[in-house]
Amino acid sequence: MADPARFEDDVVPLLPQLYSAALRLTRNPTDAEDVLQEALLRAFRGYGGFKAGTNLRAWLYRILTNTFINRYRQQTRQPAEVELGELEDLYLYRRLGQGSGAARSAEEEALERFVDADLRAAVESLPEIFRIPVLLADVEGFSYKEIARITDVPIGTVMSRLHRGRKALEKALWDITERRGTVESPA
Amino acid sequence: MSHNCEKARALAYRYLDREMVWYRRLQVRWHLRRCPRCEHGFHFEEVLRRRIHEGCHEEIPTAVYERLRAALRELPIKADPPG
Repeated sequence: MADPARFEDDVVPLLPQLYSAALRLTRNPTDAEDVLQEALLRAFRGYGGFKAGTNLRAWLYRILTNTFINRYRQQTRQPAEVELGELEDLYLYRRLGQGSGAARSAEEEALERFVDADLRAAVESLPEIFRIPVLLADVEGFSYKEIARITDVPIGTVMSRLHRGRKALEKALWDITERRGTVESPA
Repeated sequence: MSHNCEKARALAYRYLDREMVWYRRLQVRWHLRRCPRCEHGFHFEEVLRRRIHEGCHEEIPTAVYERLRAALRELPIKADPPG
């Protein structure tokens, strides 16, 4: 059992990353702060039930994610998992590379042209059901097993949502590229 | 694209996430050594992951950090009495 007197010391070092995650979840700073503050309160109230020495970071992300879902899920209709359709493997790679042919690093150079705001917009464009696992895996670096615990779904579901979410993310980045017209025609 | 390419590409995310048993991992790695196209595609996915990771981290504004710290300091250290 964790000591409530230690709560502040234990949690403060994680505030920056929790805030960053809250921002990606809620998509705006005011809601991010609200959700995080409520999550901290919930975490404190449940801290007696947290087993000291186990994965505090995952435990806090679980509370943050649940707080977010409870607060906002009602507001927007969630697309069914099938609505996304099936995208091919290496979706973005194939598109960024089209026409470039020989140059080995053409696709990677195209990647470098994405600014941080593009990547954030692409992540935030994902429906919640995919955004959460993608955020937990690719931004926060959690394992499949940890994500399964955080989001309370079987590990197979985590893998399929992550798979689809990442492809949807690649599609969102491709859409950004197209809108901007930055795909350079081969010299 | 060979059958091996399809097999390897279907496993790309699990490979890059290091969420695979070792013998499958080796199967994929051996395929990548023999197939520059797949190897290149995998590398692209890896670079993309890294860009997403870096690009999505955002600094917490000092004012927000201070407000949250102040909120934490107000928590009652002694837990509520039961009931």
